[in-house]
Amino acid sequence: MAHRYVCAFAAVILLGASVAAQQSASAPATVDARRTADGHPDLSGIWAFSIALPGGALKKVENGSVSYAQVDLSGRMPAKTPVPGALPFTAAPSYKPELQSKVKYLLDHEAKLDKAFFCGKPGVPRIGSPRQIIQLPNEMIFLYEDASGDPYRIIYTDGRPHRADADPTYYGDSIGHWEGNTLVVDSTNFVEDTWFGEGGYFHTPTMHVIERFWKVGDNLAYQITVDDPNVLTEPWTQAPRIVKPSTEPLEESPVCIEDDAHRMDNLDHHLQR
Amino acid sequence: MRYRISSALVACAMLVAAGSAWAHHSPSSIFDMTKKFTLTGTLTEVEWVNPHIAVYIDAKKDGGGVENWKFESAPPSWLRRVGVNSADFRKAIGQTVTVEGNRAKDGSTYGFLQKITFADGNSLEMVSPQLADTH
Repeated sequence: MAHRYVCAFAAVILLGASVAAQQSASAPATVDARRTADGHPDLSGIWAFSIALPGGALKKVENGSVSYAQVDLSGRMPAKTPVPGALPFTAAPSYKPELQSKVKYLLDHEAKLDKAFFCGKPGVPRIGSPRQIIQLPNEMIFLYEDASGDPYRIIYTDGRPHRADADPTYYGDSIGHWEGNTLVVDSTNFVEDTWFGEGGYFHTPTMHVIERFWKVGDNLAYQITVDDPNVLTEPWTQAPRIVKPSTEPLEESPVCIEDDAHRMDNLDHHLQR
Repeated sequence: MRYRISSALVACAMLVAAGSAWAHHSPSSIFDMTKKFTLTGTLTEVEWVNPHIAVYIDAKKDGGGVENWKFESAPPSWLRRVGVNSADFRKAIGQTVTVEGNRAKDGSTYGFLQKITFADGNSLEMVSPQLADTH
């Protein structure tokens, strides 16, 4: 039963990706009129929570009154319609033939092997788009909410190169620059114990991630490209996401305590990140 | 312990399982999602933690005495975004509550909470998004 739901979920993603791939590459960008003093599009603000959450709804009965609520998960999913300015993309990365069995093994055993499922840091790019962006003249500050903690990233846009002396980290060393109306964030120097996507997408320390951010109307468009020549046959560009503005202030995430692994009697799981 | 199994609720349980795409494991890997049961007892503790909250309930055993049950539920970040915070649970500590859910397949006093009804008659229930869309 669980696998059936996983398959249905994956089919929706692939269908959306396919439609978008056919229509998005050459569409003109719609640019938000807001710009900062230095002329760049203003990406600052609070954006919708874009970590996967339950797809269910909550029925609340209070003093005899019944209400329903559910969470808008659109910022985590591939955009359902073509995104102006998006790069061509594919549904999945292309691993070297000799490594494809390892990817399948990791996927099949994801419920127990994926560290992000056990309070581990998702890292870049799996953390997704930031919850809040603070845009300064020579740097961008990204703030996130995540079960593993609430990471931040400081991305300098003053033209400096990557640091040469930094230790590898989960979120890497990031520098940014503007290509027209798009902020391009270039990240390297990662630890290798993260996956760059659910599905057993392992990598080596040579992973190189490029994130692109631009405005589409009032929304934030977000698209990643991952390269790791040690494991991939070519760079992988993922389907773009459209993240809506939010008025929910950031909150500190409660501590993460995983207590389920010893109880599992099978490896069924659902897609998460 | 007083619990009953209702086959009429099986379909509902499966719908909720389908909606639990957040889970790093399927609920069915731990809980018997084919059987739903109801348990009434005293709410003793609320753990507002990731990756999912937990509530503890003291319930009377059939043969006498009391046993403490643990029920896990949704992630706190999900609950916050559907308008529920930790105080909504903690205000009921020490009071009688009734939960509906699924018991762990290992037979322990561990369950998957799908609905909790508080002493004042108010309740919180995880349902399918399809059900919410029709209201």
